[in-house]
Amino acid sequence: MAADTNLAGQTSASEIVITRVFDAPRALVFKAWTEPAHLKRWWAPEGFTTPHYTVDLRPGGRMHYCMRSPEGSDYWGLGTFREIVVPERLVYIDSFADAQGNPVPPAHYGISASHPAETLVTVTFTERAGRTTLTLRYAVPATVPERDMAAQGWNQMLDKLAGLLARA
Amino acid sequence: MRADPLSITFATLADPTRRAILSRLSSGQATVNELAQPFALSLPAISKHLKVLERAGLISRGRNAQWRPCRLKASPLKAVADWVEEYRRFWEASFDRLDEYLRELQSPEKTQAAPKGGPPRRRHRIAAPARTRPRRA
Repeated sequence: MAADTNLAGQTSASEIVITRVFDAPRALVFKAWTEPAHLKRWWAPEGFTTPHYTVDLRPGGRMHYCMRSPEGSDYWGLGTFREIVVPERLVYIDSFADAQGNPVPPAHYGISASHPAETLVTVTFTERAGRTTLTLRYAVPATVPERDMAAQGWNQMLDKLAGLLARA
Repeated sequence: MRADPLSITFATLADPTRRAILSRLSSGQATVNELAQPFALSLPAISKHLKVLERAGLISRGRNAQWRPCRLKASPLKAVADWVEEYRRFWEASFDRLDEYLRELQSPEKTQAAPKGGPPRRRHRIAAPARTRPRRA
């Protein structure tokens, strides 16, 4: 098998960390993540299609995509780039959107209110011997006053939270 | 607009004192005085934190006016765990597809597999291998 997965290791209770090794050079994996023609081939969930995908690859630029369900319902999503280091690192804020590219709350798509309106996605690509390790971090950015503290204290907080959950 | 419950839970947890309070409460209920002890904080300061925690639904406080013991309420934390699980599954599946696609791209017998960026207006031009649709080149 070409791909190894480490899903268990580092994930904390509220930030997902998924690591996957792809049998492909980093430049190609990065392209597959940032070019619409490639993205359309793998982005949407099983049974879905991706009829629309645009990427404006620069800080402040956006990726705007549509995932079409087997029943024909469209789910639009939006990513706003915070940081781009080709071909090493991508940081973007992910949210639901409408067809015009305006962010919408999850409720717009009938998704539970407990779903975060925005998530912070960090993707890193490292290459070793022609294989690429992709690490994806997915977290809820704190959008209320303690934002900075949240960023700094994230990991510590998650450890604690994991401990709490274990005992809850 | 962004005050979804999960974000409120995270924001509430984004404070070391409040996390320590929750940690303490995870081993059993406690009064405000008991909670204040380990911190160099005044009672009003602790009370403020307790109010934030209570508003976020992370603790409940007893009715007894004199003691009002605080208890941990775990359900918002459960929502956090559920969210994580849902997204983990989503990305797992996405990476399976990416893996397969990268293999296809690199496979020597399928040199045509690498798509080039097409014209911007391609509304219904979808890579859906299960169906054969007329393709606009």
